[in-house]
Amino acid sequence: MEKQKMIRIEDIARAADRLTDVAPEHMVPLPPPYDGVKALPPRKRLTDKVRAECDCSLDGFLAVGMTRPKTEAEEQELVSRFLAGLNRLLSPEDNWAFLQQLTLSLDHCAGCQTCVESCPIYTASGRDEVYRPTFRSEIFRRIVKKYARPGGKLLAKLKGEEIELNATTILRLLESAYRCTLCRRCAQACPMGVDNALITREIRKLFSMELGVAPREIHENGSLVQLRTGSSTGMKAHVVKDNIEFLEEDFREQTGLDIHTPWDKQGADVLLIHNAGEISVWPENPMAFAIILEAAGINWTMSSELGGYDSVNYGLWYDDAQFARVAVRQMQAAKKLGVRKIVLGECGHAHKAFMVTADRLLPQELDIPRESCLTFLRDIVLSGRLKLDPARNDFPVTLHDPCNMVRMMGIVKPQRDILKAICPQFREMAPHGVENYCCGGGSGFAIMSSYNFEDWRFQVAGRAKLKQILESFADCPEPETKKYVCAPCSNCKGQFRDLFNYYDVWQKSGILHGGLAELIVNAMTDLQKPYIKWESH
Amino acid sequence: MPSITLALLAAILVFFLGNLYRVVKVMLMPAHLRWDLYPIPKGSRERQAYGGSYFEETEWWTKPIETGHGGEVTFMLKEVFFLRGVFENFRALWVWSLLLHWGLYLYMVSVAAIIAIAVFGAHLAFARALLSNAAFGGFVAACALGVIGSLGLLATRVFSSRLKGFATRAALFNLSLLAAIFGSGLIALFNPRHDLLTALADAVNWRYATGPCPAANYHFVLVALFLVYFPFTHMTHMYMKYFTWHGVRWDDTPARCDEGIREHIADNLARGVSWQAPHIHGASEQTWASVASSSGQHGKTENDQD
Repeated sequence: MEKQKMIRIEDIARAADRLTDVAPEHMVPLPPPYDGVKALPPRKRLTDKVRAECDCSLDGFLAVGMTRPKTEAEEQELVSRFLAGLNRLLSPEDNWAFLQQLTLSLDHCAGCQTCVESCPIYTASGRDEVYRPTFRSEIFRRIVKKYARPGGKLLAKLKGEEIELNATTILRLLESAYRCTLCRRCAQACPMGVDNALITREIRKLFSMELGVAPREIHENGSLVQLRTGSSTGMKAHVVKDNIEFLEEDFREQTGLDIHTPWDKQGADVLLIHNAGEISVWPENPMAFAIILEAAGINWTMSSELGGYDSVNYGLWYDDAQFARVAVRQMQAAKKLGVRKIVLGECGHAHKAFMVTADRLLPQELDIPRESCLTFLRDIVLSGRLKLDPARNDFPVTLHDPCNMVRMMGIVKPQRDILKAICPQFREMAPHGVENYCCGGGSGFAIMSSYNFEDWRFQVAGRAKLKQILESFADCPEPETKKYVCAPCSNCKGQFRDLFNYYDVWQKSGILHGGLAELIVNAMTDLQKPYIKWESH
Repeated sequence: MPSITLALLAAILVFFLGNLYRVVKVMLMPAHLRWDLYPIPKGSRERQAYGGSYFEETEWWTKPIETGHGGEVTFMLKEVFFLRGVFENFRALWVWSLLLHWGLYLYMVSVAAIIAIAVFGAHLAFARALLSNAAFGGFVAACALGVIGSLGLLATRVFSSRLKGFATRAALFNLSLLAAIFGSGLIALFNPRHDLLTALADAVNWRYATGPCPAANYHFVLVALFLVYFPFTHMTHMYMKYFTWHGVRWDDTPARCDEGIREHIADNLARGVSWQAPHIHGASEQTWASVASSSGQHGKTENDQD
């Protein structure tokens, strides 16, 4: 590998064609047959119009694509609005939710770089300075100190921590905030307890809540659509119900089982909320849940209330107002049904949003107990209520740990208890558990595909994970041996679907991705035929 | 006029007030949302070993949640005395950092011993010689470790490819100041004309103005400078770790288990919102409660219209 060029913090403000090219030859090599620069699909070229309008000078990629100011007056206005947002970010009124964490992380970084090697994006890129987890944080830290603290300009000079705030800095900082999956491996490694991912999230928040700028997939076509229709997919209640009814018929034919989803059942023990994307993209997952819950004799329901049939909460990644609005609606739906508890389907960020982050946001009357599907399914599987035959899952299986469920919630063992009980060829990835690597689609990336962002998502962000998956099946790399990556998270599955297609992983290695519930149903002796279909999604 | 004593006392006062200000400022910040990061050293040893949480329990809210702080203390002791995080993630830096930190700890212990002798000397006749020798040995070791550690860190900051892009003037100044403090201490300790420990005892007893040993004088002035400077640097991480670790990433207490948290939630939801993005419609009369209840878009939801 060639040596990476040195990029200094101050360079962020300097006009240049781009700070880095993320050259493929610098990146960490993948195992064969994915090794070599020629094995990579060509990168999409941005149109001349986009290049003229937007600033892609960070690394040549665009995730958000904010328009560049055209005049000096527009640039000044952008800077002044950014500074207004910065002051709100540091205010106890506007940012009570994260002010303490943010201030601690801004004020106590020793610059020791102990964290950097834990970042899978930085290391997989070949240690490109732009992706160093401290690079973005240090830029923002210097801006805060210089422009939002008393005597900041003088101190910046004295301390050698100069930074210039102009349109180039702001637009690059925005794009840079979407080059981190918020996986928080760097925070785990920091001896001071500083959290670069939190700083990244707060930068995103400043742009969204003050300037109204966020990736359209997660804001305009995401959380705004969810608040309007009930689901980020745009599916309204009757569409979801129709879809589920159609799927039930389809899966009844396939499995010979009487599949039934109860809707709006007052006083049910369990309200099950899926990521609605499962219904349209991975229907075998919600159907597997329906089969398991019925077979186990659970008193359960789904909700057709606004907020009751989609567990996603994209606000977690970029905007506190959107986060609060979605969380409140979801809880109101559960409250209306008077259920005993909510069980969250296989969606990592929904778990964290609903069970952890919303915990200190909701008033007492809306605090309905929430449980993970992983513990819920573990209890069903280990209780013996289902007739399971592990021999039906006798193929190599590895487990992906979704960051939100594992590193940020400590749900580590239940999914392993299940897999050890029903998958004879289960093997761990290295590293795994709370030290896992992100899939590369975290914090919204799995649904972001504007401009040429997908090339970055698959070539850089997902690289460490793909390498790890291939290595976990190193004993059976041939495509003839069918292998399964169990990813109990819709977002991670979205990334795997696209990542595997990008590299043609099904054809070259015979690796399939899917959820946990599908493996359980596949092991059920009630089924005449295997539930898992060995075909690429 | 005991000018050195006065300078040291003034510096200690600034040090105390400065750090108090930093701590109180953080404590007065609003109660924040949870931001857990595992492993959290709570619960059973088995669960701590792999980073598990109470969320692994079926209907966790019906079971007692272990809130003991023994695991946190053990974790912190490893972090403070052995720099566990740096050891695991940046071994080349760890060696120098450990030496510097142990230099600082030994220095503080030795100063405490000298103060004990100076203040309680008459009542410590039996242990005076022992304490004096221990303090001298402690000072020598502290200064030696501190000099090696700070110079090693300085060199690493300047030459390591992992660090040099982030070696700011402030970072280099901090390490140089520490190297100067420990270096001047070491010179003064072995200066035949004057004993640094006697000078320190004199300072404690309000008798030391400036002595015949320039190194001792410089040493005291540098220490005073460091004490004044410290509260305004990132070096406060020494105690701010309590907040970053215990107060943020390990703070996993569910709201339903703590009435105090419920009160904070009510207070926070009543706070004003002035963000200006179109979907928030910032206005001074808005509160977080009203923002959370709104949809961020004018008119009815589409499901309402069905």
